[in-house]
Amino acid sequence: NWSRQMTILQESRSAPGFCLLKGSFSFHLMLPLYFLVCLFFVCVFVFAELLLDILREKPQEADGIDSVVVVDNVPQVGPERLEKLKNVIHKIFSKFGKITTEFYPEADGMTKGYIFLEYAAPTQALEAVKNADGYKLDKQHTFRVNLFTDFDKYMTISDEWETPEKQPFKDFGNMRHWIEDPDCRDQYSVIYEAGERTAIFSNDAKEPITAEERARWTETYVRWSPKGTYLATFHQRGIALWGGEKFKQIQRFSHQGVSLIDFSPCERYVVTFSPLMDTKEDPQAIIIWDILTGQKKRGFHCESSAHWPIFKWSHDGKFFARMTQDTLSIYETPSMGLLDKKSLKISGIKDFSWSPGDNIIAFWVPEDKDIPARVTLMQLPSRQEIRVRNLFNVVDCKLHWQRNGDYLCVKVDRTPKGTQGVVTNFEIFRMREKQVPVDVVEMKDSIIAFAWEPNGSKFAVLHGESPRINASFYHVKNNGKIELIKMFDKQQANSIFWSPQGQFMVLAGLRSMNGALAFVDTSDCTMMNIAEHYMASDVEWDPTGRYVVTSVSWWSHKVDNAYWLWTFQGRLLQKNNKDRFCQLLWRPRPPTLLSTDQIKMIKKDLKKYSKIFEQKDRLSQSKASKELVDKRRAMMEEYRRYRETAQQIYQEQKSIRLELRGGVDTDELDSNVDDWEEETIESVVPYAGNIDDSFMKPLFTFYSSCSSNISRNFYLICWHFAEW
Amino acid sequence: MRAVWCVDCDWDTKNVLTGSADNSCRLWDCETGKQLALLNTNSAVRTCGFDFSGNIIMFSTDKQMGYQCYLNFFDLRDPQQIEDNQPYLSIPCNDAKITSAVWGPLGEFVNAGHENGEINQFSAKSGEILKKAKEHSRQINDIQTSVDLTMFISASKDNTAKLFDSTSLEHIKTFKTERPVNSAAISPIMDHVVMGGGQEAMEVTTTSTRIGKFEARFFHAAYEEEFGRVKGHFGPINCVAFHPDGKSYSSGGEDGYVRIHYFDPQYFDFELEA
Repeated sequence: NWSRQMTILQESRSAPGFCLLKGSFSFHLMLPLYFLVCLFFVCVFVFAELLLDILREKPQEADGIDSVVVVDNVPQVGPERLEKLKNVIHKIFSKFGKITTEFYPEADGMTKGYIFLEYAAPTQALEAVKNADGYKLDKQHTFRVNLFTDFDKYMTISDEWETPEKQPFKDFGNMRHWIEDPDCRDQYSVIYEAGERTAIFSNDAKEPITAEERARWTETYVRWSPKGTYLATFHQRGIALWGGEKFKQIQRFSHQGVSLIDFSPCERYVVTFSPLMDTKEDPQAIIIWDILTGQKKRGFHCESSAHWPIFKWSHDGKFFARMTQDTLSIYETPSMGLLDKKSLKISGIKDFSWSPGDNIIAFWVPEDKDIPARVTLMQLPSRQEIRVRNLFNVVDCKLHWQRNGDYLCVKVDRTPKGTQGVVTNFEIFRMREKQVPVDVVEMKDSIIAFAWEPNGSKFAVLHGESPRINASFYHVKNNGKIELIKMFDKQQANSIFWSPQGQFMVLAGLRSMNGALAFVDTSDCTMMNIAEHYMASDVEWDPTGRYVVTSVSWWSHKVDNAYWLWTFQGRLLQKNNKDRFCQLLWRPRPPTLLSTDQIKMIKKDLKKYSKIFEQKDRLSQSKASKELVDKRRAMMEEYRRYRETAQQIYQEQKSIRLELRGGVDTDELDSNVDDWEEETIESVVPYAGNIDDSFMKPLFTFYSSCSSNISRNFYLICWHFAEW
Repeated sequence: MRAVWCVDCDWDTKNVLTGSADNSCRLWDCETGKQLALLNTNSAVRTCGFDFSGNIIMFSTDKQMGYQCYLNFFDLRDPQQIEDNQPYLSIPCNDAKITSAVWGPLGEFVNAGHENGEINQFSAKSGEILKKAKEHSRQINDIQTSVDLTMFISASKDNTAKLFDSTSLEHIKTFKTERPVNSAAISPIMDHVVMGGGQEAMEVTTTSTRIGKFEARFFHAAYEEEFGRVKGHFGPINCVAFHPDGKSYSSGGEDGYVRIHYFDPQYFDFELEA
């Protein structure tokens, strides 16, 4: 405002007619006036806010019974212990608000076992009910706390019980229909036309087969459920789940302004988040829903969605937990209540995560005065700490679980005593071994990316600084050693993508690294292929590990939006351009129904199965070429026929052509070869000293590499000027 | 005085016709370079051409500064028309301006491509629209005829080029790419077409900024399949043309270079499996 005022004044000095503002005299008058006006408005605003606050806190004029709670299972005592009882009750219940009245009904000289407490406000009463209900005073007495008004509510329930209406059975068909594809094609969802169209394709090596395509199916993006049963779409009013062969709508969840969702691993529950819905009385920011019944199970507050998902699920869906300041709250399903009715106080807790294989939580706390930082592994529901690891001079930690829960890697950034720099260690916890031994791998460079092999014991690390980025592969061996298998240096990579079946992986340089791709076989650490998908923004493996899709999303790059299909060895199969392509997600597969023995048997007989598949492939291949050849033949015939007719007409018009050109036949290039004269002329052309290659090319390289219109136009102007 | 938008010479290269953004269309003697006629217009001349006989010229003017787009016809055998700057036929185009136009095989009509993707066939005698074709969805950047003038290919901003019959305006083939096509040409001796294009600098923030990544693409005219690309330009290609003998082609680009390529023997032997 200051500078604006100044510029207005400065401008007005040169403009005629603004005599009012001219001169230093007026200027000195304007400034304090302006300041006073601002001050006035600020005061009004603050006053209004204060007023609103007071009004909000104003005690509601109710009947007063809204602030009364009834506490049952209170010990029955005689007059000599009554004072002590009252003190205990007071201590417990005054936590929730100001107790204005208390009443201990008596009979035959003893308290009856239930009491009435009145609070200053109904909100306090609600707090008491929420927190004190179920409070264990001692072995025999667990408080039951209810609102007085609730009694009234439950008393007036009619005696007539109406049988609830039987909901008609909604048959959605075979929800696993896509798994039964005889050619074992996986499905994937594609959002394109900037979000206008969403399509589901079956992946075939030749070309994608459309399974379903709808306009405006989702308003922002889509998500698959963890076992692939449902497709979730986002809408202003909530989310919808689709599934079955025809992608019918299975369920709808109303959550205004929903922006993020998360599924429980068992697909029983879905968690939705909306920044709009939260109120103090009724937490609505996060809601957990039962998918099959569509019921809202519980709502939670949420300050920020920065680290979604806020609630982390255990692998079997039995528990979910969230971390708040100094607290770890673990809830159990299906009750949705706190495990053991209370949260864990863990002072300074920074991060936690569930093992993907067992009900174990790993969390870490930073250094606190004399106590070093430490990582703790806690078994649930027993809450037994099965391993604690102290760490020194810690700056930060990141937890990386191997997909089966066999290993935990804690990436520890430390500043060793006496140094300034940050070094990184990987603390590898061997979960399957007794006492969970920990091995340490020291890394000299800064770490760019880390990833475990999904079902194996290898991990890959990208480290270093561009352009000297190295890719290192380690193997966690059974003999207690962690071996560096191979290191590739000078890689163009910033992300690691393992195949979901392990062994193979893609090192990708996404976004700023222009889509460099390296396909690696980690069984012998060889580069199978090095390729590129210019400006690729995403890499997605299919759930079987046979195919990889690299894509350029319209959300990150406005041109060349497409997704390319590669084999796991890095052979490019398809380039699929889609107008304003945004996102591709593979449909997850449910876990296999085959036992490990059955899988062993199949692997043994693989040769037999291979033969059958190869035959099938050959047939379909020749069918494809036959189709293509037939198509081409038909097109050529059609074209030939058209050309013949055109040629006929052309010949018929010859006389007209001759007339138009005064009798000269120009139908063929050599029609008048007799008229030609050949003459050779030699001349010396003086060097004109033009702007030559050495100037133009670099200038044009500049032009081509400009990333904004403004720079481009600027260089274009320079170029034309130079030319001129 | 300003950019020359179009140039054409008559069948025996006696005269050359040029149209420019300086609101004029000029006729020149090819051998001496002497200006034979100056026709002033109200707006930039976008496209021009001699008819089959070389006696009639047509040119179109842009829609600019309140002036409409016109398609003008002059008969060079009537010097009065040139002197008075009075075309014997002047067709106004009300909506989308003409971006490119070519003569029909016998000088009876002109096929014109418009800014909205339409192609109209204007009679050179009466000025009425004989036929219409609305196949393209966006601006037509260039139209070129086959060597015998029986067909023409239109290059459009909608990322395709289409082959039409010159007389019936029947849509015969479509060639699809992922970039706007700036120019296309038909080979005089093979069933091939060549296309050049690229993203306009003003329309996008980044494209593939690799040197030499702008390519001329070769399609089989009957199969509509791409069979080859030639890299080399480091800017979008604005214009392509085959040599009349079909043994080479040339391309001009935004980078200020004109490239001339001679085909290898393999080009003439190449066949797609059919």
